[in-house]
Amino acid sequence: MINSLKITLSLLLPLWFLISFQTKSMAVKNINHKIVLKHPGEDIPVEVTLVEVQDSDGLPIAYFTDVESVICLEQVCKIVSVRIYWNNIGVYQKYELENGATLEKYEDDLFDPEDYKKLHTILANIDSPYKEVYLDEILTVVDEHTEDIDAVSGATALELDEKDTVPGAALTCFTLWHWVNGDIVSIIKNKTGESVSNKQLQQFLVDENETYFYIAIAELQKRKNYSKEFIDTIIKRGLKDDFLLRTAFNYLKGASVENYLYAAETLFFKGSREQKLTTTRSLINTDYKVSKGYLNNFSTQFSKLDYQEVSLLLELMQDKNPNSKVVIENVLPLLSGDFIIARRAYWFLNNETLTTKQEREIKCFYKKHKDKL
Amino acid sequence: MKRREFFKKGTTAAVAAGVIPLVTASCVGAKDMVYDRKQDKWFDLGTGKTGSNSRKKTVAYDVAVIGGGAAGICAAVAAARNGSKTVLIQDRPVLGGNASSEMRVHLNGVNNIKGKAERETGIIEEILLHNRFENEQESFPVWDHVLYDFVVREPNLTLMLNTQAIEAVMDGDKIKSALCWQATTEILFTINAPVYIDCSGDGLLAATSGAEYRTGREGKAEFNEKFAPDEPDGWQMGATLLMSSKDMGKPMKYSPPSYAIKYTHEGGHKRRKFAGFHEGIWWIEVGSDDDIIADFEENRHKLMGYLHGVWDYIKNSGKFPEAENLALDWVGSLPGRRESRRFIGDYIVSEKDMTEHKHFDDAVAFGGWSLDEHNPGGIENISEPPSYFHYHFEEVYQFPFRSLYSKNVSNLMFAGRNVSQTHIALSSSRIMGTCALMGQAVGTAAAICNKKNVLPREVGQKYIKNLQEQMLRDDAFIPKRPANDPNDLARKASLIFGSTTSSGDAKKLINGFSRDIDGKNNHWQSDGLSADLQLEWESSISLSYVELKCDTNLQRNIMMRKDSRNDELYFNGIPNELLKSLSLEARVNGKWIKLGVIEENRTRLIKFKFDTIKTTAVRIKMTETYGAENVKLFEVRCYA
Ligand SMILES: Cc1cc2nc3c(=O)[nH]c(=O)nc-3n(C[C@H](O)[C@H](O)[C@H](O)COP(=O)(O)OP(=O)(O)OC[C@H]3O[C@@H](n4cnc5c(N)ncnc54)[C@H](O)[C@@H]3O)c2cc1C
Repeated sequence: MINSLKITLSLLLPLWFLISFQTKSMAVKNINHKIVLKHPGEDIPVEVTLVEVQDSDGLPIAYFTDVESVICLEQVCKIVSVRIYWNNIGVYQKYELENGATLEKYEDDLFDPEDYKKLHTILANIDSPYKEVYLDEILTVVDEHTEDIDAVSGATALELDEKDTVPGAALTCFTLWHWVNGDIVSIIKNKTGESVSNKQLQQFLVDENETYFYIAIAELQKRKNYSKEFIDTIIKRGLKDDFLLRTAFNYLKGASVENYLYAAETLFFKGSREQKLTTTRSLINTDYKVSKGYLNNFSTQFSKLDYQEVSLLLELMQDKNPNSKVVIENVLPLLSGDFIIARRAYWFLNNETLTTKQEREIKCFYKKHKDKL
Repeated sequence: MKRREFFKKGTTAAVAAGVIPLVTASCVGAKDMVYDRKQDKWFDLGTGKTGSNSRKKTVAYDVAVIGGGAAGICAAVAAARNGSKTVLIQDRPVLGGNASSEMRVHLNGVNNIKGKAERETGIIEEILLHNRFENEQESFPVWDHVLYDFVVREPNLTLMLNTQAIEAVMDGDKIKSALCWQATTEILFTINAPVYIDCSGDGLLAATSGAEYRTGREGKAEFNEKFAPDEPDGWQMGATLLMSSKDMGKPMKYSPPSYAIKYTHEGGHKRRKFAGFHEGIWWIEVGSDDDIIADFEENRHKLMGYLHGVWDYIKNSGKFPEAENLALDWVGSLPGRRESRRFIGDYIVSEKDMTEHKHFDDAVAFGGWSLDEHNPGGIENISEPPSYFHYHFEEVYQFPFRSLYSKNVSNLMFAGRNVSQTHIALSSSRIMGTCALMGQAVGTAAAICNKKNVLPREVGQKYIKNLQEQMLRDDAFIPKRPANDPNDLARKASLIFGSTTSSGDAKKLINGFSRDIDGKNNHWQSDGLSADLQLEWESSISLSYVELKCDTNLQRNIMMRKDSRNDELYFNGIPNELLKSLSLEARVNGKWIKLGVIEENRTRLIKFKFDTIKTTAVRIKMTETYGAENVKLFEVRCYA
């Protein structure tokens, strides 16, 4: 029975074995970390050993830990040890049972081969309904006062879709899902960050999978490393992927004033809309002193910007560079362009100290548009 | 005064006797009481000496709503908010109808369409959110009070509890008055109103007005209904008595009362399940194939017998060891009703309208619960499954306004389970969330009747767009009917943008669809908080209202239920997407001025009202949600 099960599993999931093979061949070092984890099914935090597997370059390539298959309150369930594997960014990879061990369902039923496969799918789903489930719900009996049969029911109060659970093994699914997807994920990310060299962090910053970028940024902040080399890589990435800009600026604002301003300028001038907006917002909020000359340079771009960019940039100028002759000169031409932008420019100029000629210009604008201001 | 003397005497007697327990004192005979009859107000009243209190009163309102269930509450609140002086008449001491603590039926809606909810919005959404804040414990008796609060705080609305509408007084084809009996005060009210809305389920007022109605099941042929019986008959789904039990932590005995009806489950269909029995069993159900209203007391008695019979079976048959420590904690005495009269409108909704998703130009509500038709015979026919879930919807269906007013009584509308539909259509639309949407529709329509001085049918014929637009503004959702309100100035803005965007687009906030649906996203979502939304107009506008619809995650249920589920489909807390803190600014003479601040928002529809200003731009600053990292909006509107 057990043998045939193994065969089925390996047929169904050849990838698992591939991964474990690779892991073994490249691994040179296992490092044990004693960590303390909270599990929603346990009253107090539990200590477990997380094993970090590093390759010959000291790069963490995998993690694993052994946990009990089920949190059992009434001492009636069979508990077996389950080894869970993650990659180096905390993404679950596979589980393994001790030799010969099997998992059990409600009322002494054994897991079918299909159930093992389903369990793997459930554990791999980070948005599984188990995320929001409480232990009590699993331990109470089914309530079907719903007049609807849209959901299947196991031995518990939970009404999960058949695809989301192994019927009769909700407690096992719940226990393992939270080990797999709980606090350990961020611990793994942290450990990976700590283990890698600066050179490897450089790689992380350009990896397609953005999780590496986030790990690298967090680690660089911890190391207080704001070298030009890193900053250049981050700028490059920020120019490519808008959605990383917020995290990038979070880091950049910790750099030296020169490096911060250099990064901001590069992102603004080389970037498109999102880069311009994010940079401008950052400059509005920064505590660094920003020189007039630096900001004046930004004002050369006004004619190329859309309303939202213009408006935000004017806010910056009003705030940190008021009454700059250069800015005023660069804003004045906006009065004769798109009306909505012109109106925004007018309200800006109206608060600035202008020359008589400039005053005349905006008065003229006022006269022409006074009903629409 | 004299009463105090009576107590004094009683107590003295007990004290004198020393060890006699206090209860004995209340057994003091009439001859021991000291009455000062000459000054006793009640005696004088009774003998007519001081004249009797008038037990008859006539009152007038713009709209009279009968029945305080989900449909009636929403109808009354909608009418009142839209400017009609409204009365809500409810025959029980609590609001909520079948979902009140007297019956404790789960208030459900479109709970599950392909694994996700498609929640009702509008007034029912506001009620359910209010419940999340005020009744975290999800107690049914507290829910009664949440509903009470929701109704009595409404300025234009009068609530009359313990008052039953018993008869319509007619003037031609119009109801002139509703005679209503207030049991607690022995007053017979004559309630006059130009528009009546019967949301009472059974529809006594409507029936006495002569409004046409049907009962029983249509045959297949009449509406070409696949799931209807071959021939029409009189069967109506039954009423149910629910109960709940409590784990006492030790074995609890149970012996059935004299009126229990022995239950054995012999020959019971396999779908007649006991799972979840500790919260009541919905198939303890008795219906009728005749006059279900006339049978009610007889059926109630039977249901009490069946309830105890089934509980006896659970406790004492030996088949439910898990019930050993359970004891009945609450038992219903008032059966919840599913079906009786269905009043006839200008249109009768039937099965195919739902399963084929007919588009109605006068659509005002939607549903999507399965076609959940219970078996004929109920618990007296257990070889059948307790319900035939004939059909599960994959998309919501529409409900037309023409099914919500009477065909022959010109100032009568209805909402809830008693509307113009077939038995099979009722098997889905009777769900309270759906009833609530119909309620909001007729309440809003009643206000239009008053404003335009027209009857309900004319609202359908001439003002259906006004009705739909008003409902959409008030956060109702009508499938495939985007809002297009010519008075909404947001639609005339030259620019609309969010300070940051992580998904959707600020331009979608004026596209008329206030939820993500039909595979399309209709939202704007910020990237982090705080975030601003800004609108710019080319010419200056006069502005007095800005209204937003924010996210409350309509794909996850927040219904009122006993089981407090918390999973992907049900949530038992405040939706963390809900916007909590925000403020509104307008640009006047080049300066941003604050028009309003909301710190602890509790609603999906957020309204700012302020003294009219002239402006060319507004900016909404959003700083906090109830937990979500980003803020998501579905609509912004601006009005003069
Ligand atoms: C056991 C059971 C289970 C059900 N399961 C569900 C479910 O899971 N989810 C769901 O949403 N729906 C369910 N339903 C259906 C649903 O409860 C009803 O269809 C729904 O309550 C109808 O709403 P309503 O507003 O029309 O009527 P009701 O909720 O019945 O409200 C009508 C109100 O009018 C009052 N009234 C009646 N006559 C008069 C009068 N003459 N004068 C003044 N007041 C009057 C009544 O006291 C009552 O409060 C169930 C029904 C039953 C019985």
